[in-house]
Amino acid sequence: MRPQLRAELELLLRGTREPLCIDTAQWDRVLRLARMTGLHGRLAAANEGNHSVPEPVRRHLVSASRIAAFNARMLLGELDALASVLRDAAFPVIALKGGAYALQGGRMANGRFASDVDLLVPNAHLRPVEQRLRAAGWVAAPLDAYDERYYRDWSHETPPMRFPGRVLELDLHHAITPVTGTLGFDARPLFDASVPVPGSAFRVLSPEDQVLHACVHCFHDGDLALRVREIVDIDALLRCFLRREGFAERLVARAGQLGLRRPLWYGLRFAGAWLGTPTAQGMLERIGSPGAISRRLMEWSAPHAMLPSDPDFPPPTAVRLARTAMLARYHRLRMPLPMLVPHLARKTALRMRARLLRPAEEPSRKGQP
Amino acid sequence: MRTVDYRLLDLGAARIAVTSQIPAFQAQLDFIYGHRDEAPVDGFADVRVALRPGSRWHVWGRQVDLWSEGLRPFEPYPLHSALPLFEWGSNWLLAQRLNAYLLLHAGVLARGDHALILPAAPGSGKSTLTCALHLAGWRFLSDEFGVVDPESGHVHPLLKPAALKNRSIDVIGSLPGTVLGPIFPKTRKGDVSHFVPSKASVADRHRTATPRLVIFPRFRDGAPLRSTPLSTAETAMRLGLNSFNYRSLGPVGFHAVARLARSVKACELEYGDLGAAIDHIEHLFVGFA
Repeated sequence: MRPQLRAELELLLRGTREPLCIDTAQWDRVLRLARMTGLHGRLAAANEGNHSVPEPVRRHLVSASRIAAFNARMLLGELDALASVLRDAAFPVIALKGGAYALQGGRMANGRFASDVDLLVPNAHLRPVEQRLRAAGWVAAPLDAYDERYYRDWSHETPPMRFPGRVLELDLHHAITPVTGTLGFDARPLFDASVPVPGSAFRVLSPEDQVLHACVHCFHDGDLALRVREIVDIDALLRCFLRREGFAERLVARAGQLGLRRPLWYGLRFAGAWLGTPTAQGMLERIGSPGAISRRLMEWSAPHAMLPSDPDFPPPTAVRLARTAMLARYHRLRMPLPMLVPHLARKTALRMRARLLRPAEEPSRKGQP
Repeated sequence: MRTVDYRLLDLGAARIAVTSQIPAFQAQLDFIYGHRDEAPVDGFADVRVALRPGSRWHVWGRQVDLWSEGLRPFEPYPLHSALPLFEWGSNWLLAQRLNAYLLLHAGVLARGDHALILPAAPGSGKSTLTCALHLAGWRFLSDEFGVVDPESGHVHPLLKPAALKNRSIDVIGSLPGTVLGPIFPKTRKGDVSHFVPSKASVADRHRTATPRLVIFPRFRDGAPLRSTPLSTAETAMRLGLNSFNYRSLGPVGFHAVARLARSVKACELEYGDLGAAIDHIEHLFVGFA
């Protein structure tokens, strides 16, 4: 990585926590890196009231914080609507990630964009909850039989649902790891340790489990591409919970109990390296590192895949290679090879068919600029 | 390390930086965005894009991609249609990012510092009317975005060319004084050609205006002129519906729309004859400027 880009990334990551005092040209680059990684909301939140921000930049920060506020209203509104359907449930309903951060309030939710609402319910209640929501008006995206089976049998969530006219999708989970993956485990201890949110129909994971879930989601439930914001989440959660007496010890012990030492190690490793998370180093030593090969692969790939490349250019070969490697790893962790090969073959065939059938003139959005 | 030479286009309310190695596209930019003075020194841009040719070996002939922050947010266009891709893509990016303002989907013109706003759904003849009014002597502020500052209530110019489609290319093309870019046949929106605003309007691109009159135009072939005054509440509702970001601005959007609706005269205008519509608008505007 070029030294200039490295310095700009440092500014970006610092700017998600504290006000920056930099010139317009530097802001131009930092804003672009923030947009690439979905961190512009956090950048705006941390720089609210920063009088050193030049005028054209201030307009973009205002713009980002308005969109973040809109996102937060949609998120809380969706949770409200869900609560009215699930209020009398005789089993725990846990809000995960963005929903949990919004319900708990405070800095965690500040400027964070949520793309969907994730709820965790006990496996036995998954279908009834889904039916109840459908009866109340939520609609599942139409899926073919194969995709339906993929979600039902191999995944840890239902096909996404949405209430017509509303922005955010709803994912119902019965576990936080894919059931076919190497990390699959029974979610019961998560419910046992969960805590109620005062004044809300929902519960949230215990602080330790929130950190572990953020790590699992980051390193075992996605392709890592431009996902540095998940490391920012992990850092922010740790900074918040580490103030509690004995938190680090409990976190390490819990990771051992649930078999989640490896995702926690990776989360701490990169949060410590990129954001200087306090006590990350000490915890890393207690957890014990993954094998040398896994560790080397991740230490080379994660920065290339997760951090943005120079916004002026298409991603360089090393970045594309790292992203492909991490995508392959993601699939490999998700299901055993005899299941994976036919699954990927089918997806590739469908994609090629779509490419051949689509007329060249037809533009459609394929990403989030 | 490579560096990129951007061309900075100052549109008034926003700046776009664009880079491309495609000579035909550069020449079209020269023509469409000509007569703008030197770029400002700090070099900040609200939107930065690169138009890069795709692979030489593509099945349907060579294509062009719009790159923004290392990503290609849109499907490619045929190589010769780089300008429509740039116009469409940069509008889309601006609409995502200019939420410091209330963004109306509207043509905006002015007499001096008094603005006429023409909010409309696509296909209602907004661009044709905007260009025709400009050719009749009105200052051109924008054809796509009505940029309203929620703090001051003023409207800012955003000087991009007006994208004329299909029949309106001939209608506006036949009027004296029209400057049109090349015609791009059979794009996603049919034939497209870009109307270039006058040098005087471009020079005034940082001069804001106070909204006075809002007209919701609706062209219907052969229809007689029918002008219906709108109440403040009706005007506010329609402004919200014709906005890119009314919903996402929340309370800020509500107050901006309510303030704008209270401060203007408003009507709906159905017309079949462009000349009659212009005469009627001039008549409504008497007393403002």
